[in-house]
Amino acid sequence: MKLIVPIKQVPETSNVKMDPETGTMVRSGVEQIINPLDLYAIEAAIRLKEKFGGEIITLTMGPPSADKALREAIAMGCDRGILLSHKDFAGADTWSTSYVLAKAIEKIGDYDVIFCGERATDGDTGQVGPGIASWLKIPFLTYVSGIDQTNQETMTVERNVEAGYQILKIQKPCLFTVVKEINFPRLPTLKGKKKARDIEIPTWTPQNIDVDPENLGLNGSPTRVVKISKPKVSREGEKLMPESDQEIEDSVGKLIEYFEKLEII
Amino acid sequence: MSEYNQVTSEIVKELRGLLGNRNVIYEDKAKLETYSHDEVDDEEYAHMPEVVTKPANAKEISKIMKLANRENIAVTPRGAGSGLSGGAVPITGGIVLSLERMDKILEIDEDNLVAVVEPGVITNNINELLAEKDLFYAGYPMSVESCFIGGNVAENAGGGRAVKYGVTGRYILGLEMVTPEGDIIQLGGKRVKDVVGYDFVKLMVGSEGTLGIFTKIIIKLLPLPRHTVNLLILYKDIETAINMVPRILTKSDKTPTAIEFMDKESVLLVYKYLNEHLPLKGAEALLLIELDGNDEELMEKAYQSIGDVCLNSGAIEVYVADSATTRERVWKMRRNIPEAIQTYSEIKSSEDIVVPIANIPDLLVKIRKIAAQNNVDIFCFGHAGDGNIHSSIVKKPGTEQANWEENLEKTRREIFQETAKMGGTISGEHGIGHKRKKYMKDIMDSATIELMRRVKLAFDPNNILNPGKIFDIEEAK
Repeated sequence: MKLIVPIKQVPETSNVKMDPETGTMVRSGVEQIINPLDLYAIEAAIRLKEKFGGEIITLTMGPPSADKALREAIAMGCDRGILLSHKDFAGADTWSTSYVLAKAIEKIGDYDVIFCGERATDGDTGQVGPGIASWLKIPFLTYVSGIDQTNQETMTVERNVEAGYQILKIQKPCLFTVVKEINFPRLPTLKGKKKARDIEIPTWTPQNIDVDPENLGLNGSPTRVVKISKPKVSREGEKLMPESDQEIEDSVGKLIEYFEKLEII
Repeated sequence: MSEYNQVTSEIVKELRGLLGNRNVIYEDKAKLETYSHDEVDDEEYAHMPEVVTKPANAKEISKIMKLANRENIAVTPRGAGSGLSGGAVPITGGIVLSLERMDKILEIDEDNLVAVVEPGVITNNINELLAEKDLFYAGYPMSVESCFIGGNVAENAGGGRAVKYGVTGRYILGLEMVTPEGDIIQLGGKRVKDVVGYDFVKLMVGSEGTLGIFTKIIIKLLPLPRHTVNLLILYKDIETAINMVPRILTKSDKTPTAIEFMDKESVLLVYKYLNEHLPLKGAEALLLIELDGNDEELMEKAYQSIGDVCLNSGAIEVYVADSATTRERVWKMRRNIPEAIQTYSEIKSSEDIVVPIANIPDLLVKIRKIAAQNNVDIFCFGHAGDGNIHSSIVKKPGTEQANWEENLEKTRREIFQETAKMGGTISGEHGIGHKRKKYMKDIMDSATIELMRRVKLAFDPNNILNPGKIFDIEEAK
């Protein structure tokens, strides 16, 4: 089986600081990591390969330093990586990004399954996975939480929905975006790290893939960021701290009144 | 001497006059209860304070101490209450002096590589601020998100990075302190060298709140290493794992910042607790090794060589965690072991023994034997790289409570005896407090304890500050 895992390098955001002036993230000194949710996609691909054999190709679009993310994915168990990096790609929104990734995947060709993370922790859109599938005109499922069966032509998977699980059968080739429940991502091994250090990762530019220059980068992106603002959180509340019996009774009365106003009771 | 006066409503009024109403807690049982214990599980070590005070500066503390001496009331200083020896517990009632309001980072002096902080600053917050300036404070207790720097100094906290960086004391250059009699004194300063008179800074570090209350702490800073790598190494048995520790320390080019040990039982509990799973591949023991440095290539070479040595001497697998995600994942496992054990059995005692590093394999074998003989479970984890093994003696679910107390006492004594035989001692970083007080005589000769008592009385002639901790004054007479 030929499995493809598009990943994204994102800033480590557990301790993120915002610039109060511009409303954007302070990026200096922030470590770049694989989008944590992509790790589940990588693991899902590795497990499928362990079962059925084949090859896993991981790819990312980003600056030259994004090569580090590909090496980490290779250290985990992907076979090879492709870096899509060129100034013309820069500033792409989800539409343009999924276009370029789809074109690169088309060039790789002959794939069975594409695994994506649910969304990236920085942009938080969840659009690139489905976008790739749309460009490639292949079926896709989002929020996949388990893989039940894999046959020559089809796969049966579990999908997380609000009320429970759906079990769905899908025609290959197809694309999945996976959720955390699907597995526990492995850690890279010493051997994997060594392999990843030594491997050559090709860089593809617009010249390497069959793309329309009109669709690339900031200029090719229909999305325009007009303004970034921080939502104001405002809470109003009243603290009732009754001590005497009378106060407790009054407080209960107040609570009932409040709930009735909100039509909770 | 042990007879202290009660806190009367007149005294409370005076305290309120000094500190303001809202900074004195009195008669509010729910609020006082918080200050009656630290993180020692056993309720027998807890005790309610009569009044809790929250001073804002050295002058207020000085006034409280003078009042306490005048009225003969005990004062127990308290940081975040995350201690593990009962050190912050007011065992004679009296006044708890909480430093929670003194929580300011006063100065970061980049030219001198020092910072001046108040005792109530959360240690982790210091490092978050310093990281922006590419600096760090090397003290790293495991309760990173809660403990106060003041408590770290009082206990001479150790923690995860001691193998390379040593413990808290190495980074304390100076203190402003209120003596038990209420004098405000300055010890040390922003100086690397200082041999004028006795080294009182060193004496204060680890004095467990019995000799003075720190009001300003001058800490030494280091440039922040740019890269950190962790290796998680799986071993088929404890002996092979632990035998590697001295080898890694003596033979590798780079001194690890940490070498942590976890037995399989601890790891399985933490998997359940955190909903985590990494394949153990049949391992019985794990080592977590951390390296830091600035040159990425050198770091790669160093971890590769340590990893190769481990694989060539019996390791099943070596995992590499060198990104923020994976590093946090492996340390989260290690940090959460105490909480995970709590979910297995709430009745337990956390021990903090330390032995010379070469003795760790022997000690762990002995501990397992002692556990089996006394019908208790013992989970072992901790700082293998500095010989400080945390062993949690846990009541086997389903065994009788009465037997447990007897078994615990016997187990503890036997472990301490074995530890002593190996040249080890009963606490590496948690302190004596009042939890381990009765074992002092087993581990230290009486002449030394007597000297310590005299030091205590020189600082605190009325035995007002944190009485009944480390040793009892009365026995001296």
